[in-house]
This record gives sequence, C-alpha cells and structure tokens, in this order.
Amino acid sequence: MENLYCTIFIVDISQNPDESETVSSRIQQLVEDHGGIIKKINRWGKKRMAYSIQKKSHGFYVEIEFSASSRLNIPKILEAEYRINDRVLRHLTYIVDKKEQVQREKNAGKFKKAQEAEKPESSEESNGSKKTVTPPPSEEKEVAESPVEDVKKTEDIEVQPELEEVNDAETKKSAKKETASDDISDPVAESEPPAEQKSTEQKESENESSSEEEDSERSES
Amino acid sequence: MRQMRERRNTMLQRKKRVCRFCEAGDVFIDFRDEKRLVRFLTELGKIVPRRTSGNCNQHQRQLATALKRARHLALIPFVSDIPR
Repeated sequence: MENLYCTIFIVDISQNPDESETVSSRIQQLVEDHGGIIKKINRWGKKRMAYSIQKKSHGFYVEIEFSASSRLNIPKILEAEYRINDRVLRHLTYIVDKKEQVQREKNAGKFKKAQEAEKPESSEESNGSKKTVTPPPSEEKEVAESPVEDVKKTEDIEVQPELEEVNDAETKKSAKKETASDDISDPVAESEPPAEQKSTEQKESENESSSEEEDSERSES
Repeated sequence: MRQMRERRNTMLQRKKRVCRFCEAGDVFIDFRDEKRLVRFLTELGKIVPRRTSGNCNQHQRQLATALKRARHLALIPFVSDIPR
C-alpha cells in the first residue's frame, strides 16, 4: 500500500553549523535509494527546545515528507540511520493519515480565502474606525512563512477577550465617575468624593497591572 | 417546585461547553502548532482533562497524541517546574 510518510529530526549544530545539510541530504539519499519519492522538505531552522537534550538547548529542525510503499519498510531503515548518527538528537517518523491531509487542504483553502478577503478590505478598514484591532502586515507575513497556518486563527481568538475586558473596564470607570460627580453636587458630602476618586484610580491601576501581566504571560508563552 | 426546576435547568445549561475544535471545524490537530497546544496543558505540563477543557471524545484523543508527539520533539515540556 502506498503511504505518505513524514519524518522530523533535530540535528545538533552546536559544533558545525553545516551539519544539518549533511544529515538531511543523507536522509534524502536513503529514502530515494530505497524507492521512496520525496514530496516536500521543510527546514524549520534553529529553534530553542523546551527541555535540553544531551545538554543542548538548541537544535535544527528538519521535516521531510515522502511517499513510499509500505513493503519497502523505509521507516525502519531511517530509524537505524538515526540511531547510528550521533548528530541527530531526536527523530519522529509517522504515516500522514487522511484526516491530516484533509485538514491541510482545508487550511490552504482558508488561507487563500483570507488573503483574497484581506486585499479589498484593508483599504476600507483604514478609512473606517481605528478602534478595531487589525494585526500589522509584517506579522501576517511571518505567520504565512511559518509551517503551520492555524496560528493565525488562534491569534484572532486571543484578541477578542482583551477587547471585552477593556470595554468592561471603561464602562465601570464611566459609571464610577458619574457617581463621583453626583456626590460633588451635594454640598453635604464634599468630603467623600476624593476618597472615591482614589478608589477609582486604584481600581484603574489594578486593571492596567492585570492586563500587563496577561500580556507578559502571553509573550512568555 | 417549579422555581427549583428552573434553577436546576439554568445550572445545567451553564455547565454545558462546546468542543473548541468542533466549533472551528478542525478534522486534525497538528502537533507542530505548539502555541495552540499549550492551552491544553496545566501549569506543570500535564494534559488538561476533558471535563475542564470541554473537548469531545475524538478531539481529546487526537489532542493527546498531538501533545505526546510535541513533547517527544521538545516543542512543549514534559514537566515545567516553574509555573508561568
């Protein structure tokens, strides 16, 4: 049966930066020699790993997609090669199932649609209200270059709660200010307004600090 | 009695959550997308159970495999000692 395989490996480039090329070319050669057809090579580049492997904090990620018959047993050959090679820190080979392929097609379609929709809308949005948060074009390009296109979607989702929070905070502020102004109009309760204003200021500062914390958390993650 | 029943109904309705992946119409959860996966981890790096995340059976199982693959490739930590 003809399968679509995907193999990802992390190369140690701390000693020699050209090591990633030699290893990936070696893997490609192995696949082609044993009857596989290489479909796609994706170099993720040097990335910081979530935990250190063999006392190394960074590694070069390479992803190779190839199709081959299941009788050829290519994953087993690759496995042997990975184990012998000292420069390979980690590896993962798996069969790309139908669901993933469908999802990729979907994402590609969505991405195209989004691109088409953005071109005409961008001019309109600039003329309209400035309050709507539109991500700058430089970020969009970065997203487009990244291997996964879902990132964009998640960003959109993240933006919404922030806006809601801001709106809530604004409404609260306005409500409190109104109450404060009422108090000022009363001659009896002149001593109270400053205290209330202080409290509102404190609350505002709290809101700001909380939003800042959230931002910092997001940037860290 | 009727009030009780109404209150109970509202409580039940509040608890109901919809699977995020179903809402987005995703068929497959990609392990390369670590930003998205991190949401389904606790502070210590454990997989969030379905009762809290609200995922459906199929997507929770897919998510689990995706998380495990991402862990293997050092995209997300097995254990993070410092809570974020």
